[in-house]
Amino acid sequence: MADLKYIGQPAQRVDALDKVMGKTKYVGDMSIPGMLYARTLRSELPHARIVRLDTSPALQVPGVVAVVTSADFVNHSNFGFPISDMYMLAHEKVRYVGEGIASVAAETPEAALEGVKAIICELEPLPAVFDMAHALDPDAPQIGPNRTDGKHPNYIGHYPVYKGNPKEKLLQCDMVIDQKYETVMQEHAYLETEGGLAIPTPEGGVVVYLSCQSPFIPRNDLCKVLGLPADRVRVIVPPVGGSFGGKDDLNYQTAGQVAALALKAKRPVRMTFSREESIIASYKRGSMRMNIKLGADKDGTLRACEFRSLYDSGAYSSQSPFTSWRASIHAMGAYRYDDCTVDIDTVYTNTGYAGAYRGFGNTEVCSGIEQAIDEMADALKMDPLEFRLKNCLKVGDVTPHGQLLSESVGLRDCLLAVRKMSDWDRKRKDFANQSPSAEKRRGIGVSALFHGTSLGAEGLDEATATIEIHADNQVTITSGLTDYGTGARTVYTLIAAEILGIQPERIKVHNPDTNTAKDSGPTVASRTTILAGNSVRVAAQNLLQNLDWAAADLLKCDVYQVHRVGEDYIGPSEELVSWDIVVKHAREMGLVLSAFGRWSAPQIHWDEEKGTGTPYFAYHFGAQVAEVEVDLKTGHTDVVNIWAVHDIGKVIFPQGAYGQLYGGISHGLGYGLYEDLDYQNGYAQSINFDTYLIPTSMDMPEIQGGFVEATFSAGPFGAKNIAEPAMVPTAPAILNAIANATGRRIRKLPANLERVMLGKELTKKGSPFSCKVALKIT
Amino acid sequence: MLINFTLNHKPVSIDIPTDITLSVMLREHLKLTGTKEACEIGECGACSVLLDGELVNSCLVAAPSVMGREVITIEGIHAEDGGPNDLQRNFIEKGAVQCGFCIPGMVIAGEALLAIKSEPSRLEIREALAGNLCRCTGYMQIVDAIETTAKERAEKPNLSKRER
Ligand code: FES
Ligand code: FES
Repeated sequence: MADLKYIGQPAQRVDALDKVMGKTKYVGDMSIPGMLYARTLRSELPHARIVRLDTSPALQVPGVVAVVTSADFVNHSNFGFPISDMYMLAHEKVRYVGEGIASVAAETPEAALEGVKAIICELEPLPAVFDMAHALDPDAPQIGPNRTDGKHPNYIGHYPVYKGNPKEKLLQCDMVIDQKYETVMQEHAYLETEGGLAIPTPEGGVVVYLSCQSPFIPRNDLCKVLGLPADRVRVIVPPVGGSFGGKDDLNYQTAGQVAALALKAKRPVRMTFSREESIIASYKRGSMRMNIKLGADKDGTLRACEFRSLYDSGAYSSQSPFTSWRASIHAMGAYRYDDCTVDIDTVYTNTGYAGAYRGFGNTEVCSGIEQAIDEMADALKMDPLEFRLKNCLKVGDVTPHGQLLSESVGLRDCLLAVRKMSDWDRKRKDFANQSPSAEKRRGIGVSALFHGTSLGAEGLDEATATIEIHADNQVTITSGLTDYGTGARTVYTLIAAEILGIQPERIKVHNPDTNTAKDSGPTVASRTTILAGNSVRVAAQNLLQNLDWAAADLLKCDVYQVHRVGEDYIGPSEELVSWDIVVKHAREMGLVLSAFGRWSAPQIHWDEEKGTGTPYFAYHFGAQVAEVEVDLKTGHTDVVNIWAVHDIGKVIFPQGAYGQLYGGISHGLGYGLYEDLDYQNGYAQSINFDTYLIPTSMDMPEIQGGFVEATFSAGPFGAKNIAEPAMVPTAPAILNAIANATGRRIRKLPANLERVMLGKELTKKGSPFSCKVALKIT
Repeated sequence: MLINFTLNHKPVSIDIPTDITLSVMLREHLKLTGTKEACEIGECGACSVLLDGELVNSCLVAAPSVMGREVITIEGIHAEDGGPNDLQRNFIEKGAVQCGFCIPGMVIAGEALLAIKSEPSRLEIREALAGNLCRCTGYMQIVDAIETTAKERAEKPNLSKRER
């Protein structure tokens, strides 16, 4: 793979220019003549029966044009995958505060809000469950759908990994750790809130511009709930202002609402959320309670892990079956064990709801297991980094799932790199010698991670791209996967430029559009570089064949005799012909100047009952070290430094990869230190950025990043992935650093001032009132 | 109410309701959508504009209060030929842009800082950006872009605004 021209070379993001000029149009920036503004009536109760819903008064409000409820859809607007427990608008019951009940379209946003207020909606409160530990009580009120297998309706699933018998093994271990860890809900806090714009078509269909991740899912859902065939529903993803897993299910409901309103009003309808509405209505990272037992020998060899946990999905299952499964696969960390079991149970409650968020279960379990690993190292009086080096997975190891790792395992190199970069050995020594009376104490902590690439055994894993040369010789690419800020468009561009041997400037990537792109599954699981990247590679290779034939024909030689000099082609006669001439000749020869590329991930299998198999075809690895300064008087923790080295396979777009790394770390730092979307009795306690704090430029340290390129043979040019795993180890590295600084361990995230200072929480100031007001005024 | 002010170096006269914010006037009434809104309570900086050269959150400014004053939005920041100026080019070159939603505000905040401080340290840049939230980048490359621009401008102190 010598002499790569574009892959791994300095490059700039292809969509940055419009963004720095303020020209990029997000959904909220779009307006078209005749457009109506929509607003949704949302539940003010965490669990209630809808006893009366009369929308006719809303239609009397001046300016209101149309109102829709679940009755306006096929099958009451039921949708959802893998469990169909959601509705575009609530049907019979509401299960969380913020759930949509009816939507209004009006000439102005003010009139739409007046319309919402005019709707007569009588809710009869039902008993609710807020504590996941009581979700499965025999007398717990039913939240989930009816089931026929005799299981509790609030039960979503059980996700196991089984290797041997750790219970017995733990009895034989020299040292055993038995601890509980807890994580709380995290808000995605994408800067652009949710939104959608629906435009009715003359044929009776609808086009929806939707800020989302995976356009084919809402397209297919809309067909179902609107009763329209595929050719009548088109979803286009405009530029998206951040998502991090967060713009799926809830915004599919937005799509349903604006589409139904547009069809009814026969006019375009746009809905955008205020920040308050976004935080109240949207799904979060779910909370988790873990119990981890680890066993090791005196010499520091890990022997056994027994992991049990409960995961709260809130009112809807959303992606939680998949999140929980991914959590189960990663719960024991990137280590070797003789015996290891994982049991995760996932339940419904009336606490908001949980869905996909960067790291997708791994972020949660990593914060537990990586603290437990540190606690074990402490107990054994071993250096925690050394302890990880001794036990971490390497090529040739078999994981606790029973998977042989035959290539691309760079964890050891990542650990060695952060050890060196952070001056770990010296700092551990120095910090151990701080004066016990010092008010400000320094600490340094490490965390490792592995993260399965793409969907894994969660589902069918393939992607298709198209590539085409147009009359003006511009090259365009389509992919069914979305760039919601990640840099994927640039990755596709560089891959296609490399294969075709042309300047990246010639290439343009279309917005994902269900009418032009091919369904490639969801844009999740950090799968875009491998899946879409590979499909673009294949498409470009297919197109290249035709161009090579044309060049050979033009140069009167065989294809193998054709070479490239820059963009130009050269044959045995040493005569140069330009790429444009070759394209022109291909056109004259009648060759097709467009191509498909499909790539399917290697076959893998997971046995859900036995808890064994090959969960993922490849893994990302990484290690981060955090250095903190804790003020023991105030509880304030300053993260002074972070060193992060990740094995992402071949780096395709370095600047973008660093951007993902830094950005991921900021989510992890927030998760570790401040972010807690706390709910009291079903009401979110923070509903805007004044109380839900995300890291600012002052909270973030200067980060030193690096990459280990343990290439993956099936990846495009050897690439794996980065987006999600960048955030996964940050919080536990910080928590381990705080423990190193203070000698006190905080086993419940986040390590905010109170927890660091007092070891407990203060009562919160939010109230049901603020949620109710926010749903009716802002 | 009719208000007159200077917007991106041009005089503007517009009839607006008295109870709207500057951000709403810019986005809804003047269709300048480069200015974003992400919290509307003065916490995120996505709505940053320059008011008489000073950085403000336009979601907290009453629209009528800009009467007779000068407002610069992201649409008013560019090189002479209408393309990106040096700061904007450095945002692109340093990889400071991801989803882009915070970026207009970040560019405005960067210009506001560079107008009063010719060679800010990285910490000073971070302080100047503390009111602008970005959820994508972790701020590293944004700080890089502003730092580089400051250095370049310091090397060529005689470059006029229009030549940047
Ligand atoms: S929208 Fe003005 S500060 Fe957030
Ligand atoms: S680039 Fe997305 S919020 Fe800053």
